[in-house]
Amino acid sequence: MEKRKVWQEGAAKNITFIVTKDCQLVCKYCYLVGKNIKERMPWEVARQAIDYILDDTEQFNERSVVFDFIGGEPFLEIDLIDRICDYIKCQLFARNHPWFDSYRFNFSTNGINYHDEKVQRFIKKNLRHLSIGITIDGTPAKHDLNRIYKSGKGSYNDVAKNIPLWLEQFPGGATKVTISSPDIPYIKESVLHLFALGITEVNINCVFEDVWREGDDTLFEEQLIGLADEIIEKRLYGTHGCSFFAEHIGKPLDRKLQNQNWCGAGMMLAVDAAGYFYPCTRFAQYSLRDKKARIIGNVREGIDPNKLRPFLALDRCTQSTDECIDCEVSSGCAWCQGENYDAACTPTIYQRSTAICRMHKARVRANNYYWNKLYRKLETEGGREGFKKTVVNVIC
Amino acid sequence: MKKKIGAVTEDEKEEILSLFERKNGLAELAKIVKDDDTLYEKMVKDMGATSTRFQQWWNNMAAKYQWESAEDGNWEIDFETNEVFLKYS
Amino acid sequence: MLQYLIILLDDTSVSFCHYRNTNSNRRLIALDGLKAGILFAMKHNLMVQFVYPDYELPESYATVIESIDHHKIKPFSLKEDASVVVYDYREAVSDQTLNRNEKTTLVLRITKDELFSGYEEVIHFLKRSNRLSLVITDTDTFRKEDFDTYKKVLSHLESAIPEALKENDDMPQLNILSDRIQLEKMNNCNAGVENITLAPNGKFYVCPAFYIEDENDSAGNPAEGITISNRQLYTLAYAPVCRKCDAYHCKRCIWLNKKTTLEVNTPSHEQCVTAHLERNASRNLLNELHAKGFFPNKEIREITCLDPFEWKE
Repeated sequence: MEKRKVWQEGAAKNITFIVTKDCQLVCKYCYLVGKNIKERMPWEVARQAIDYILDDTEQFNERSVVFDFIGGEPFLEIDLIDRICDYIKCQLFARNHPWFDSYRFNFSTNGINYHDEKVQRFIKKNLRHLSIGITIDGTPAKHDLNRIYKSGKGSYNDVAKNIPLWLEQFPGGATKVTISSPDIPYIKESVLHLFALGITEVNINCVFEDVWREGDDTLFEEQLIGLADEIIEKRLYGTHGCSFFAEHIGKPLDRKLQNQNWCGAGMMLAVDAAGYFYPCTRFAQYSLRDKKARIIGNVREGIDPNKLRPFLALDRCTQSTDECIDCEVSSGCAWCQGENYDAACTPTIYQRSTAICRMHKARVRANNYYWNKLYRKLETEGGREGFKKTVVNVIC
Repeated sequence: MKKKIGAVTEDEKEEILSLFERKNGLAELAKIVKDDDTLYEKMVKDMGATSTRFQQWWNNMAAKYQWESAEDGNWEIDFETNEVFLKYS
Repeated sequence: MLQYLIILLDDTSVSFCHYRNTNSNRRLIALDGLKAGILFAMKHNLMVQFVYPDYELPESYATVIESIDHHKIKPFSLKEDASVVVYDYREAVSDQTLNRNEKTTLVLRITKDELFSGYEEVIHFLKRSNRLSLVITDTDTFRKEDFDTYKKVLSHLESAIPEALKENDDMPQLNILSDRIQLEKMNNCNAGVENITLAPNGKFYVCPAFYIEDENDSAGNPAEGITISNRQLYTLAYAPVCRKCDAYHCKRCIWLNKKTTLEVNTPSHEQCVTAHLERNASRNLLNELHAKGFFPNKEIREITCLDPFEWKE
């Protein structure tokens, strides 16, 4: 199965409200180093942010908009979110704003209070404009290895019980899985477990931080090859998707023609409880270990366009080492601009972190194995042409 | 039952997609705008106008492409492929 | 490749560029520090530029300074034997002693308001100079209306050069107009790449402004060498906005870049637009000079966009 198309990908502005920096969980791999219970977005800040954005149709001239709500755990602030969304809808309509015909509200949640009455009321009220992803990492063992409460207790049971309701409301809902070093032995069984729960699309990636140990790449490759065998064996390839396997990855990239930046930081806009704007939530102070927050403006004075220029001018080669530029398997090797900034030896976004290098190469080897094996099988069975055309489309 | 009966151009798809989104937006707006709200009258007018334009689009396209219809059927469009289907029981 | 070593002789050394030096507490570089800097320059084939404060140095310093080929950058108040004399606007207006025969380069640090209201004084100053380097100290505050005014002021300055030519055999040079005509490629400040600054504390800095702004932001010392992290980012090749640009005379001020965009390799909109207004004025001047038979082989093409950030590669 090919990856489901992202709604209005490339045509939509992403605006992120960091509504709270609190979360019920203290996931071990979480990049948010500054979570706290104090920084909750006041309504007035949210309103000022919305007014600023909607007032300036010249700057915010994208055809569509996705309003993201993140935390911490966004649904901890469901009352505020509900008020924000109502205000956005009314303002878009009252102003005859073109986004009234093309908007979405997007949530990444840990799923713990998904069943909560207020959350459910909100979902039903906005269902046609919502996309919600619940993060569940796989088997109970894998999930509870990282996604734990402050008490140390795992959160799997509290999340898994909400999966059926979520899938009923969002058929084809995708989950996001994060892999850190201790998770590697659980990858295969975890993805298969998620498929068994009814989740047909698993977006999974290795963390960008420098956490990898000697031998992790070998183990990772073994896990992916095992997963590839299972997906092919059980004929899941036509109905289920795991983002580790993608045909386009692992090819060399042209210095000139394929010089685009990977990350969308700067095209997005994030606002926090204090009313500061960031090029992406990863540049807010609570996301950064070693660097100062990269503030590009605030809700009162607006965005300083000069602070955005480095992000919009950024390309692949300028931030990469020659080894990365000349790498023969570089396509699909991702980076996070925020992590690059945090890990850089000066306060710059122009130094690409290569902590993920060996893991990407392992992924490429397993990915090549997957496609070679799958195509050979389909060739043998005479189904290759048909498979290539299989794309799951949303009919409205 | 579902049967492919034709396709529309990208511009035509964009027009109906926009109307479809507007209908949904108005439907969800109606859940929060009370009848004494200043937006209420504007919203009601818009709902009527959008519904009319929505139906007009289907009528125009059906005439232009001579789509097959059925007594108990509905036309559907796939916004990804621009294909149009007749769905009937 | 490193070519110049700038040595700030004192914490109150005159600013010859965009940054302001508001230090009033004197701190003279230690004599040993000065010698170490000079030795470093000799070992690395660097031309030294000494930047002076506004008071006379002890004789022992003068002796050490004269031990190497160098240029002296001095404030107006101490202009005797300077290679470069730095003026502020008030000083430039008041100095009636200048004449075109002096080969000294003059630096005029001026605010936009001073320039916009006093450009005729600047023209008068220019006509008495051999080479004038105009440094607008607040380009980062330019707004749209300032760009419009600057364009008009440039047009006045541009007319002054052929007029001066009528009065003399050679043409006075004004950095923001005549440099672009002569250049075939980027000729920026290149702090951190072609030049490095030794401060009175005995440490290296990317440029004097980096020292003035944050003494902790040092980049090595003469004993241990230069340690600039991510040094490639100071080069043109790693500046995506600049490497496609042909405002060759632009200072591409690394310090202003960092101040305005938080990245040393990315210029602000204001820096780009002012440089392009100058570039376009240079083009007009060149066309006028062509008509008089000068620079027949030079050409500056016409462009409409004033900010290369808006061009797509």
